[in-house]
Formats: sequence, C-alpha cells, structure tokens
Amino acid sequence: MNLEKLLYDAYGYTEFRPGQKQVIEQVLAGRDVLALLPTGMGKSLCYQLPGKVLPGAIVIVSPLLSLMQDQVAQLKKMGEKSVIAINSFMKPEDREKAWNTLGTYKFIFVAPEMLVQPYVLGKLNALGISLLVADEAHCISQWGFDFRPDYLRIAEVLPKLGNPQTLALTATATDKVTDEIKHYLKLSDPFIYSHPMDRENISYDIRKFENDHEKLEALMNLVAEYGGPGIIYAGTRRKSQELAERLLTLGIRAAFYHGGMEQQDRIFVQQQFANKELEWVCATNAFGMGVHIPDIRHVIHFQLPSSIEGYVQEVGRAGRDSLPSLATLLYAAGDERLVESLIMDDLPERHEIELIYERGEEAKHLIEQGMMRETAYRIISYWRERLPLQGTLNQIERLKIEKQRQAASVRGLVHSSGCIRQYISMSFDQKNPSIPPNCCSFHGIDHSLFKGNRRELKASQHGSWKERLKVLLPI
Amino acid sequence: MRFDEVVLAIMRAVDGQRTVSSPYHLIKGKKSGQTIQDIGYFGLHPYFAVLPKLDKQEYLASIDRLQTQGYLIPDDNSVKLHRSAFDLEIPSTPLNGWKYRSNENRFFARLSLVVQTMSNFMQGQKRFDPVVTDETVQMWAKAYLNRIDFRSPAVQEAFKNQLESSLALAKTTEAHKDILMERLSGYGVGGLTWDQLAMEHKLLPIDVKIAVVEAVHAWLDVLEEMKHPMLAGLLEGIVQTSALTESAKRTQNLAERGFSLKQIAELRQLKTSTIEDHFVEMAMNDPAFSFAPFMDEHLFESIKHISKELKSMRLRDIKERLPEASYFQIRLALAMRGGVT
Ligand SMILES: Nc1ncnc2c1ncn2[C@@H]1O[C@H](COP(=O)(O)OP(=O)(O)OP(=O)(O)O)[C@@H](O)[C@H]1O
Ligand SMILES: [Mg+2]
Ligand SMILES: [Zn+2]
Repeated sequence: MNLEKLLYDAYGYTEFRPGQKQVIEQVLAGRDVLALLPTGMGKSLCYQLPGKVLPGAIVIVSPLLSLMQDQVAQLKKMGEKSVIAINSFMKPEDREKAWNTLGTYKFIFVAPEMLVQPYVLGKLNALGISLLVADEAHCISQWGFDFRPDYLRIAEVLPKLGNPQTLALTATATDKVTDEIKHYLKLSDPFIYSHPMDRENISYDIRKFENDHEKLEALMNLVAEYGGPGIIYAGTRRKSQELAERLLTLGIRAAFYHGGMEQQDRIFVQQQFANKELEWVCATNAFGMGVHIPDIRHVIHFQLPSSIEGYVQEVGRAGRDSLPSLATLLYAAGDERLVESLIMDDLPERHEIELIYERGEEAKHLIEQGMMRETAYRIISYWRERLPLQGTLNQIERLKIEKQRQAASVRGLVHSSGCIRQYISMSFDQKNPSIPPNCCSFHGIDHSLFKGNRRELKASQHGSWKERLKVLLPI
Repeated sequence: MRFDEVVLAIMRAVDGQRTVSSPYHLIKGKKSGQTIQDIGYFGLHPYFAVLPKLDKQEYLASIDRLQTQGYLIPDDNSVKLHRSAFDLEIPSTPLNGWKYRSNENRFFARLSLVVQTMSNFMQGQKRFDPVVTDETVQMWAKAYLNRIDFRSPAVQEAFKNQLESSLALAKTTEAHKDILMERLSGYGVGGLTWDQLAMEHKLLPIDVKIAVVEAVHAWLDVLEEMKHPMLAGLLEGIVQTSALTESAKRTQNLAERGFSLKQIAELRQLKTSTIEDHFVEMAMNDPAFSFAPFMDEHLFESIKHISKELKSMRLRDIKERLPEASYFQIRLALAMRGGVT
C-alpha cells in the first residue's frame, strides 16, 4: 500500500512527520503499538489514517471532555463525517440515538467512565472494533501527574472486548510510566516508537527574582517587550483572572481561561485567540493537553508547574508550526512552597478517605456541600472497590511521596545550574539531546529573535449591535 | 433589569410567605409543585427558568448584596423585606420565562451556529470550528441551512435584513441588544465571554446574563408575530403550545379521559402528591378548570374568603382557620384565583 498517497488523498498532507509512518505501518500490520511522540507532532494521525484502511471501528478513549470535543471538531474539520463522541454529559435521548446508530460511525470517542458500563461494552462488542486507542495514555499511571483512575478500568474491559489491537499514544512518559502503560494495557510484544521528547524549536528561559513584586514587574515588562501570541500559566483560577485584568489595564489584549468557566465561554476564548483578537491567554492547566493553535510564540509560567511532565505538556503548546518559540519560567524565591501546598491540597485526606469508605456512593453529596473534593472522590471510590481501607491509606501515602518527588524535580529544574533542555530530557530517562542554537538560558538565547514582534491586532469591535451584525454578515 | 432586581421583584411578591431560597428555585426553573403553583399565586411568570444554570454561590452573592444595602432583612424562616425595598423602582421587563421555559437557549445556540456558518461561507471560509458543540444543534443547523439555501447571496442578504429589522422591533434597550449581538461569533470574530461583557458594560457577569435573556425573549416575541418563514424556522419547537409541564400534560390527558386522581397515580406509578401538583398546575393554567370533583362550592368560597381576609397565601394560616379543608383543596382553590398564564 502506498501510504504517502493515502495520506495525501485523505488529508492533503504531502509527507509524514517523523514517526508517523513507522507507527501506522505497524498498526496496519496488526501489532500493538506504543507511540511516544512529542506534543504537537501529530499523534492523532496515527489512528486517523488507519481508519481509512481498517474494516471495523476505531474506538478512542480520551481523558477529558474538552479534549474529546476538540478532537471530534478537528476530525470533522478534516472532512471526516462518521465521528461521534459519547460521554456521560450527553442528554439521555441523544445518547440513546447514538447507541442505535453506532454501527454507522468509524471513529468513536468514549470517555473512560462510560467504557466500563456493561451496556456500553455490549454495544461496542457487537460492533467489531478494529483498533482501540488510548490517547494521552500516561493518564493510566498511578504515579503520573495526570492520573485518572478511570483509565485503569480500560485494562479491566479489554478481555470483555475480545482483547482488540491497541494503540497507546502519549507525549510525556518516563521509563517507569512506559512500563506501566505496557502492563496495564496488556500490550503484547508491542512495537514501541519513541521520539525524543525534546522540542528543538523551543528555547527555554528561566528567570529568578527576589520576591513576588519583582516577578510581577518582570512579567509586565515581558509582555510589553515580547510579542504574543502567548499563554501565561498561573497556578490558580483566581491568579489567571488577576493577571488577565492587569494586562487589560495596560491596554494589552488578554483574557483568562480556566476550568471554572462555562464551556461556551471557553470556546469563545479559544476562538478569539485563534482569530488573533487576543494576544495573551492567562490560564490554568485546563488550557493544556490537546489545545492546538499553531502559532503560539511564547509560553510563560508565572507560577511553578507541579511536575516536569505537566511543564512539558504546557510548554508544548508553543511553536506547533515548527517556528522558533520561547518558554519562559518566572520564579520568585519561595514559589516552591505554593506548589507544594497545591499538590498536597490535591491529595485526598484521611478524613475524606474514611468518609468515602463509610458512606460509599452517598459521599458524592458531600462534594456539593463542599466537604469533599471531586478529584479525591474519584480516586478514592476507585480504590474502595479494590482495597481495604488500610490499603488505600498506604496507596495515598505512596502517591504523596511520588508527588513530592515530582515537586523536587521541578525545584531541580529551577535551581540546577546546567542546560535546561538536558535536565528535561534526563527527567524522561532520555539520552542527552543535541544542543540547538538558542537552546536555553544556560547556553544563551538571542532575545532579539523574540522581542518586539508584537503583531498588529485587529481593531476591537465594540460598536452598536447593528455595526457588529454588519461585521458578522458583511453583504 | 439587573439580577438583584429580578430577585427583589420576586421577593416583593412572596414577602413573608416563602423562604429566601424560593426565588432561587424559581429562577432556575425547578419543576416542583410548590414552585409551579407559586408562579400562579404570585404572578411570577416572567421569572420562571430564566437562568437554568444559575449557581448557588451567585445567588447567595446577590442575597448578600441585598442585605448589605438594607433591602433584605436577614431571617432564617422567610423572606423579610425592608420597607425601602417596596419603594424601589424596578424597571418593567420583557422576560417571559413561563412561556419560553429556557428554550431561548436552544434558539440562541441554533442562531449562533447559523450566523457563524453564513459568516464564514460569505467570506470564502468553508472549514471552521463550530462555536456550538452540541450534536443535536449541529444537525439541526445543518438541515436548516440547507433548507433555506444559505449559499445564495440573495438568501444571505434577506436573512441579515430580517435579523436586523426584527431585532430593531424588540422591546428592550439598545444596550441589551448590543450585549446579545456580542454573544454571536463569525469569521474572524469570536463571541465575548460573560466576564468580558461585564467589564465592557460595567455590569456584573450575572447582570449581562439576564440582559441576554431579556433581549432574546423580547426578540422571540417579535419573531413569533412576524411569521416570516426564514426566521420563523429557527423557532421550531421553541415555543410550547401548552403552558403545562410535560408530566402535567400527561396527567391532563388521563383526566380528560375520565380517570380519577387516584387512578392516574396508579396508572402512572407516581405519588398522589405529584398528581395533585399536576391538578394545581392545570387549575392555574386552564380557565375552564372545574374544582367540582375535589370540593363543594361552599368550601371553595370559604378558602378564597379566608385568604382574602388574612391577606395571606400561606397554606398553614388558612388551614388553621379551616381545619376541614385539605392542603390540596386549599392549594387548588388558591391556584384558581390566580389562574392566568
Ligand atoms: N503529516 C502531517 N503533515 C502536516 N500536518 C500534520 C501532519 N500530521 C499531523 N499534522 C497536523 O499537526 C497538528 C497537531 O497534531 P495533533 O493534534 O495530532 O498533535 P498531538 O501529537 O496529538 O499533540 P498533543 O500531545 O498536544 O495532543 C494537527 O493540526 C495536524 O493536522
Ligand atoms: Mg493529541
Ligand atoms: Zn541548553
């Protein structure tokens, strides 16, 4: 089969990106595949193209609702019609309709928590699955920065689906996580494609300050001197809001984005950003995995990320068009304390664990009353089905230690005095990367490359409704 | 109308007779018997289900403001307004929640997608990220666009002109129309978030949300009258033909076929109290509703008389004076008094 021709005919791309062809060949040869490709390299294509050849359905498991929606939108935009996403937020009547017509779809996105329901399994089984895709497969790692207990359930349903051929995709996996993926997804003699995680077109800059005040001032100078489009990552929702407001008062076009906003508003911000109506988006990590806007030039971390993996995911939003881009990490003395407290805040506490063991499903109500965090509930109810109380307490204790290790490696990123690129590669158990020009603040960056290219933004449309209507529908 | 004014308007009607959280349920559109019947008793039709996604915290923030300003007196049992709250001028509103039942959101989602599609196609862009991700709306919009032949420049022009002339007729302020239009997206132009709108118009986010609902309701009123096929198409299934909730409608059908309240409860496997709620709802909405199967003329008149005398709609107050009446009978009688839609 001529894969290049297929690629061109199906999607209009003239060549494969590194790794894509090798992965697709092995998928078509019927092997389980684990593909480790950097952010933005085009992992989705590794299941999209096989969909054109394989006889049955491609079932994609995706960790986030928003990610799922983005991918469905992307596929549709590429002219793919038989795509559907099934999640627990669908209206019952829509879901029913989806189930009844499931056989007509080629690409079926399923949220992991749906996958385990017997009814869903039955429907999928009847369908004939050609390929099961675990996107963002690192979410399966209990020790990972992005652990989703529901991902572990994929392992449990595999036999019930007749152990279909599996493709696991991720951009951020250490050796340890790679092993976990292989183990849990029961990949038998898998083909593993591992591309260096390093993104050569990104220059890493770290700047340190005495205190918060200086750091904030530095941020204001950065946005004034350097152009966007860029993302400023803040540790909390409130901070993302605060920073956006500050930029706005300086007359810089900015908006905030976080998980607490309704979905329509999040779509609006993404669109404004893609339309170049905004120069900066101040965001929490909700604006991360899967966000695909090609020409982001600058990613600034205003607060320390909670893990190197998370950092790589977030930085990975930059330069997806392969052009030089800058990643700036701003650090003020003592910042690690904030990260550590955020990390610990995320972990379920003893009283929460005990409550869930006592009350089971009922404990869900405690979330609404603000007595329990949603993430804590999710994690603990998974373990409750499998372990006695003490076992879970031990499990969480180990998780805490692992999180502390991750925090320590972030501290290392800031305080080690060597090459930043090397440090990151090392964290992923990869061999030393080659050092590109403008590698990092240790090797030196020619900042004039990035400075002063503040782009012309479109004039804002704040006229009357009639004027706006004319802009929307110009006749 | 600002959000706090919506809350105050409701509170003025139920002052002393309902809890502080009752406006919250009404605004969210809770379909409980109590909420539905209050709409009739107190004439709260405009405000039903105007913000189905209202967050409890946002509501509590409003309560907080009203207390700080002295309009609302903190009280654990019921709404207790200060006299000043009654002197306040509250602007009249085009809100018509009881009629539109939050369906304006579906209308607006359709409109958003239709405008975005036309905007992109007009400017040579055939691929774009849809601003609405709901599959049902997407499918609906696709069918609608094809039906009106949206690629034709003549159709595009007519569509735009009709939007403009109909919105111009809507009985709401220009500022509200500005806000509404800013929630629409097109080629190279993204809709604005609630926070962006709040900042631009120097209002609270919750106030711009209400502003959009007011503007859409006012607009829907116009569109319904116009009966132009192109825009009227967008209203498909938006305006309910019956004022009853779905469930109450089913009860009504059975009642019309001669089944008694008890029989209906058994047939539908619902609690008697639920079916009673349905009858109260019917009493409220149907001018021809007859109380005869449930009480005699004398009892009916007594309930109405006592309610008037006590100046109260409180069931307990009436029950105290008329122990022989059941709560259901009292609710039914009171509902008939208010019985308008
Ligand atoms: N062979 C190719 N030629 C040109 N463009 C491509 C090719 N393969 C993929 N792309 C484009 O690259 C972009 C990024 O792809 P994709 O979203 O699959 O990245 P990803 O690896 O999944 O990233 P992430 O880890 O952030 O999820 C898409 O817009 C896609 O259309
Ligand atoms: Mg991806
Ligand atoms: Zn370096």
